[in-house]
Amino acid sequence: MAHNRGMPSSTRIYLIEDDRTVLHFVQHALALRPDWRLVGHSATYSHARIMAPNSLADVYLVDLGLPDGRGEDMLRLLSLTKPEAELLVFTVFGDESRLVHALQSGATGYVLKGCNDAELIEAIEQICAGGAPISPLLARLLLKQLRNNAPAQVADNDTAAPALSERETEVLKLVAQGYVNKEIASRLGIGTATVSTHIKNLYRKLAVHTRVQVVRAAQDRGLL
Amino acid sequence: MPPAPPPPGQNAKRVPHYLWVGLLLLGLLWALHSVSMPAGLENAVTLREAQASLPQHPQQPPQQVSLPHILDDQPAAWSGWVDYRLDWPAALHYDDPAQTRLALLLPRVGTRFRVLLNGHEIYQVGWYAAPERNILSAWFPYLVSLPPQLLQAQPQQNQIHIQVQGQLLERSGLWPLQIGYHGSLFERHQVLEVWQVKGTWMMLISSLLMGLLSLHLWRTLNERLFLLMAVAALAHSVRLALSVSLEPPLSFGWYFYLHRLAFTWYVGFFLLFVAELLAFRDRLVHGLAWFLIGVGPFWLAWTLHTQDYDLYRIWAGAMAVCGALSLLRLLLFKARQRDALDGDQILVLVVATFTLATGVRDFLVVQLNFPGDADLRWTSLGSLALLFTLSWVLAQRATASTREVHRLNQSLAGILAKREAELRQAFDQLRASEQQRAIEGERRRLMRDMHDGLGSQLVQTLNMVRSQKHTLDAGSVESMIHHALEELRLMLDSLEPMEGDLATILGTFRQRIEPALLAAGIELDWQVQDVPALPSLDAQGVMHLFRCMQEIFANVVKHAQARRVCVRTRSDAAHVYLTVTDDGVGMQRPHTKPQAQRGLGNLRARAGKLGARVRFFDAHPGTGIEFAFPIHRTFTPEAGDTVPSVE
Repeated sequence: MAHNRGMPSSTRIYLIEDDRTVLHFVQHALALRPDWRLVGHSATYSHARIMAPNSLADVYLVDLGLPDGRGEDMLRLLSLTKPEAELLVFTVFGDESRLVHALQSGATGYVLKGCNDAELIEAIEQICAGGAPISPLLARLLLKQLRNNAPAQVADNDTAAPALSERETEVLKLVAQGYVNKEIASRLGIGTATVSTHIKNLYRKLAVHTRVQVVRAAQDRGLL
Repeated sequence: MPPAPPPPGQNAKRVPHYLWVGLLLLGLLWALHSVSMPAGLENAVTLREAQASLPQHPQQPPQQVSLPHILDDQPAAWSGWVDYRLDWPAALHYDDPAQTRLALLLPRVGTRFRVLLNGHEIYQVGWYAAPERNILSAWFPYLVSLPPQLLQAQPQQNQIHIQVQGQLLERSGLWPLQIGYHGSLFERHQVLEVWQVKGTWMMLISSLLMGLLSLHLWRTLNERLFLLMAVAALAHSVRLALSVSLEPPLSFGWYFYLHRLAFTWYVGFFLLFVAELLAFRDRLVHGLAWFLIGVGPFWLAWTLHTQDYDLYRIWAGAMAVCGALSLLRLLLFKARQRDALDGDQILVLVVATFTLATGVRDFLVVQLNFPGDADLRWTSLGSLALLFTLSWVLAQRATASTREVHRLNQSLAGILAKREAELRQAFDQLRASEQQRAIEGERRRLMRDMHDGLGSQLVQTLNMVRSQKHTLDAGSVESMIHHALEELRLMLDSLEPMEGDLATILGTFRQRIEPALLAAGIELDWQVQDVPALPSLDAQGVMHLFRCMQEIFANVVKHAQARRVCVRTRSDAAHVYLTVTDDGVGMQRPHTKPQAQRGLGNLRARAGKLGARVRFFDAHPGTGIEFAFPIHRTFTPEAGDTVPSVE
């Protein structure tokens, strides 16, 4: 995928990961893109808590299984302090049940550990270009979670997730049936990039509750 | 209906009720004895003698008589009109008659009488009523004030006459009376009113209530005991009602007959009741009771006919003897048996003994003139105590069945709760063991999958690394490890909550397989649509399906020489269909390699475990495989070993 469409010319990446082989893998992969830079690395939650929010990174790669804390808590912290940054979950398996929780905590996508250099670069490019990876099972879970949320939203604005648009529902349904973005675009008569945007929006909708909470908490503490 | 046994342990530490009731009655007897001691009143004098004369027989000389002077004990001439002249007691004197408030207290006098002071009539009851009228003044005490203006200046000069018209069989006459200051006698009169009149009314009401209640219980429970009590209590009520009437609406003959017969039947039926209550089926007791009930009417009729009070006196004695004998026999018989009586039965015996004692005392004092206050009849109190006790016992008895039902209900509820708890526990155990079995099954499946898939993949990789130490191809190792990782991911995918959604399961599989297909230059034509959820596709089912799809796609990649594979889903009312077709060389059965044959065999076996029918067909060109999953599961996994036929 071409890296264009509003991407910053130099993407700054921050890795939060305790496995040094993954650090080496990321460093190796970044050799493919000399204009990208790994601006920081934390091997523990406690280190990341202090260092990561102060980094100027555009993309954060976050491992969910940190030795001294939960990746989800780190995602929440980053979604508060770095609301414009892309937060990619770095996971060995596409463990969708846990991924949904991570997305609710503010993640905007995920990358499977074990992918090759090109796949990592492509995933980062995709997320920066406004797209997001999604599996059929994840789509199914999101459909279940976000479908018909409108009445609940009226009842309780603070806790309900936002409702899906008709087009988003269609996209999600097709993803859940195993169709890839190109096929979905063809079936719906829209561009592939639009499909990606829809999926990205879904992620944001899923995390909006968390973000609202985070912003409110930040305001209460005088941080914003 | 046998009396319900008290719940075990309920009375274990309590003092039995008959014990404290017995003590209470002993105290009452002592109190009665104290109250009934013949004692002089303050500011009053008891007159125990009088000079009696017969105005209708002037030839009969007046004679000094001691009181009580009962006309039934006198010759026939005395049953008419008797004049008693009372001497003014020397102890009673006054200074100024106008300032003196004196009175006479007549505890028992009758059956008709009048009082004259110095020749002036100052009080009368029924004196001028027609002879056929039945006047019974003797049931009531009278307080007669002596008008001050009629008193003589010298007390000894006063002439007091009490004239009585007697009635045979009614123990008419004059009983000892008091003369004295009005205040003292008024109080004494109040006491006598309570004992003789109000007490009788109380008994009448209680007895009537008890009779009606017993009658109702008998009709409801159909138990003979209640009928006996009802007859006894109602007979007693009749007697009491006649005892508080100054002028009963009956001739004296009927009044006497009914009054005495009611008492006789009361005693007779009461004895039967006690025998029934104590479950004492004794011929003598029953014989005595039925003797009183049966012979009573004739004996009383004979008494009425002969007008001989001694006959009634004999009958009253007979009743007392029958009652005492029955109670004594009952006590002796039960005393020989250990635990023969329950608490309530002992209570009734204790109270009945008390009642009998009061009756005997009254008989001795009133009939045989033993020392004591004959104006205070103990029987009233004795009967009242007995009535209350019997009411309590009967109420206990009547509610025993209800309590028994309640107890049984409680016991039943307890047993039910226990059984329910046992059932729940058994169910919980069953569920736990079922859960354990499921976990075990799942663990075995995962182990098998890991052994067959990931394990063998890793072993292959290890063997390759070992055997090609010096010529190790990094690409091959990477590919094999990647394959192992994919295998692991596939296994973990099967554990995701897919809820039997075939489209999502296939989509997930596509994610894993598509890179390999693309690498092999095979295009995937995805024609999957939503179909009804399939109950057979649980975690194990998903893994079976993954393995089937792996087998199919492996065949396509390795043997079919296909360029395009189409995956399609559809459904009808009964089945969901999954079809995979390729445009390869098609099936060449005679030349199919043994490995591929084995693969197809595995495919059929796994499809069987999913409860699916599998069909191979020629796709012109290429091969097609169709799985037909029943929408409603009628298949047991154990039956899945049956290999479906191959078309």
